[in-house]
Parts: sequence; structure tokens; C-alpha cells
Amino acid sequence: MPPRHEPLPADVAAWACEFLGVDELPPEGPFVPRDRLVEFATALKNDHDFLFFVYCAATHYLAEGEPGSDGALPDRTVVAYRVRRLPDRRRGRPTQTFPFRVVVPTGESTPSLAGVWVGADWQEREQLDLVGTVFQGHPDPRRVMMPDDWPGHPLRRDYAIDTAHFPWR
Amino acid sequence: MNEQDQAFRHPLYDMVEGVARFPGVDVAFTTADKVLTWSQRNSLWVFPMATSCCGIEFMAASSSRFDLDRIGTIPRATPRHCDVMIIAGTITVKMAPRVKKLWDQMPEPKWAIAMGSCAISGDFYRDIYSVVPGVDTFMPVDVYVPGCPPNPDGLLEGLRRLQDKIRRKRAGEWVEPDRRPPPGMRAPSIPRIGDPARSPRIDDAQLDSVMHLDPGGALRRSGAPPLPPVPPAEEEG
Repeated sequence: MPPRHEPLPADVAAWACEFLGVDELPPEGPFVPRDRLVEFATALKNDHDFLFFVYCAATHYLAEGEPGSDGALPDRTVVAYRVRRLPDRRRGRPTQTFPFRVVVPTGESTPSLAGVWVGADWQEREQLDLVGTVFQGHPDPRRVMMPDDWPGHPLRRDYAIDTAHFPWR
Repeated sequence: MNEQDQAFRHPLYDMVEGVARFPGVDVAFTTADKVLTWSQRNSLWVFPMATSCCGIEFMAASSSRFDLDRIGTIPRATPRHCDVMIIAGTITVKMAPRVKKLWDQMPEPKWAIAMGSCAISGDFYRDIYSVVPGVDTFMPVDVYVPGCPPNPDGLLEGLRRLQDKIRRKRAGEWVEPDRRPPPGMRAPSIPRIGDPARSPRIDDAQLDSVMHLDPGGALRRSGAPPLPPVPPAEEEG
């Protein structure tokens, strides 16, 4: 049984279907093409009042050996975003969130959303640090958790857990 | 001193070298070294290097119920005022240079207490890529206080051992160096969902609360779909 998800807000779902040219959105959030990501995010913020950036979380997937994979997808990173809008009493609307996702093949980059939501700044730095996703146009692409001289990105699936780090490892 | 005086172990007893009785006044003699040692070990100002849950126990120890102040142990917020650094918590590879720098900023004489399993050996985080396996890999440690976390009594006991160590060292006695305590526990085998050792009712309740985020069961009673079957136990060698 799949986990339950909060239903997507109807008005935003209808707009996103039209924007992406699909009939139905998965409850985990639609996949947005990378070249239209900033346009999508700007419209979400300006036209649909999603002013609050909740999180972005990147997950690295290997090309082969992944359960449920058809083997056709390359080595990639999926970045999941979620944004929130505050309750609007005038429209009779509770607080709602909207998720969306981006697929980034390894070796390529995705546009940064730090220019749209300021809250995305450190979140994207964390993904860069731990998973190695490159956000194009990020204002401050430094590591935020690991030491600056740390080799590799520890939450990638191909990261060797016994990677040497002098003098402790 | 007569026997009656010796039986009364006043805190100042061990620093008194001799007593001269004059008419109307008793004068106690001692050495400056003993006075310095006594005052030093009874005013151990600590620098709380508290990075995680051991810091909470340290806060409990220094607040009114256990009251570290009564043995002269006052937390200070700068290493330059302090005699003892209490490393309370997990030290990561990124934090370790900062800890070393703060330790180097403390004036001599100084002591270090490794409080809790993480500071002693890294404990169950020691295999993680970013955790230092014990603070004694990069700085000296005088007293190890084992526990996960040690309760305030344990920390008080550690400070008492440190006081005892200071007294004996300054008195010229040989003090056996404190060693990292041997691991006295094995990693527990965690019974997973579907383990035959667990009651299936507990499995059901746990799956219910985890998968439906519905601990009270209101969602289930309202006609939500039934739970998935319990997966069979995994065969482990």
C-alpha cells in the first residue's frame, strides 16, 4: 500500500496540468523539466501565493540495481521541492503545500531557485554538500555541513563509507 | 593533633601540616603548595563543550537540583577563564579543530573530562563518515565519565575523581592514568517488524501508527483500508 499524501490543491493542480501538458499529477508531485523550472517556480510564487519554501531534498539513484527501476534511466539525482502558502480566510482556504520534482542526470546541473525563494539558498547548499547536485546560478555555492576539504558527497549511493579523511579516517 | 581531632575529617584536614598551641590561640601551619592545590581543586571552573544530549545532563548537573556550584564548579562561557573542559557530546570531524583550538586557548593548568560514550569513543556513531572516534585521538583526557548520557551523579563523581587526581598528583603520588573504559555492552539486536519474538499485535499497532500517522485509530475506524500483511521474518546468518 503506498503511503498517503495530502491531496494537491485543486486550483494549482489544474494550472500545473495545463503548464506541463499532462492530464493528471502524481500525489508526490509532478516532474518539472529543468529548462522551465524557474518559470514554474516564479508562477507558483507570484500567481498562486506560495511564498514559503519548505524544503528541497535531493536523492541519488544508481542506474542499475535499483529496485523497481526499468534499467533505462541513467545515473541521476531527483530533487524534491515543497512549497507552502498560508491560509487565506477571504477565499476560505486552509494552509496548503505543493510538491514538485526535478530529475538531474549526473554530470548536469539544475537551475537554482534561490532567486525565487530566499529560503532555498541554504537548502540547496546542503544538497550540493551531501548529494552533489549542482545548482546553476546559486549565489553562494559553498559546503554547509562537511569540512571544506572533504572528499566527495557522503549521501551519494556510490560514496565509499571508508573514504580516508586525515587524521581521523 | 589528638585522636579526637583526627577523627573529624574537616575539608582542610589534609592540608594542615601541624598545629601549634599557644596560650589563647591555636595556629595551623601548612605549605603554600598545599594551599594552592586545595584552592585549585575546589574552584574548577568548567568550559562546557556541550554539543548534544550530554549537554542537557550537564545543564541539569549545574542547575539547582544537583548544583555544581557547591563544589566550586562554575560554568564559564569563555575558555580563557576555565580550568576544565567538559566535552559533552558527539564531536564531528568538522567540530574537532574547533575543540582543539578552544582547548589550546585555555590557560595552564588545565584538565579535560570526556563525558559520555560519544566523547569517549564515538560509540554507535564511530563508524559514521563524519564522527571522530573519541576525543582522546586529538587531545589529552584526564577523566572519562562513561554513560549514554551519564546522569548528573556520574558527572559529579567524575569531578570528584578529578579533584582527587589533582590532590594526589600535587602531593607527589603516582596516579594511574585514566584509560578509555572498555565497552561493557554489546550492540543490541533490534527486533524488527515481523520478528517471531514480537507480538503481532504490537507489529500491527506500530505499522498502523507509522503508515497511517493515526495513533488514535480514528482514521481506521472511519473506514480506511486495512493494514498490509506483516512481512515474513528475514533470515539472518
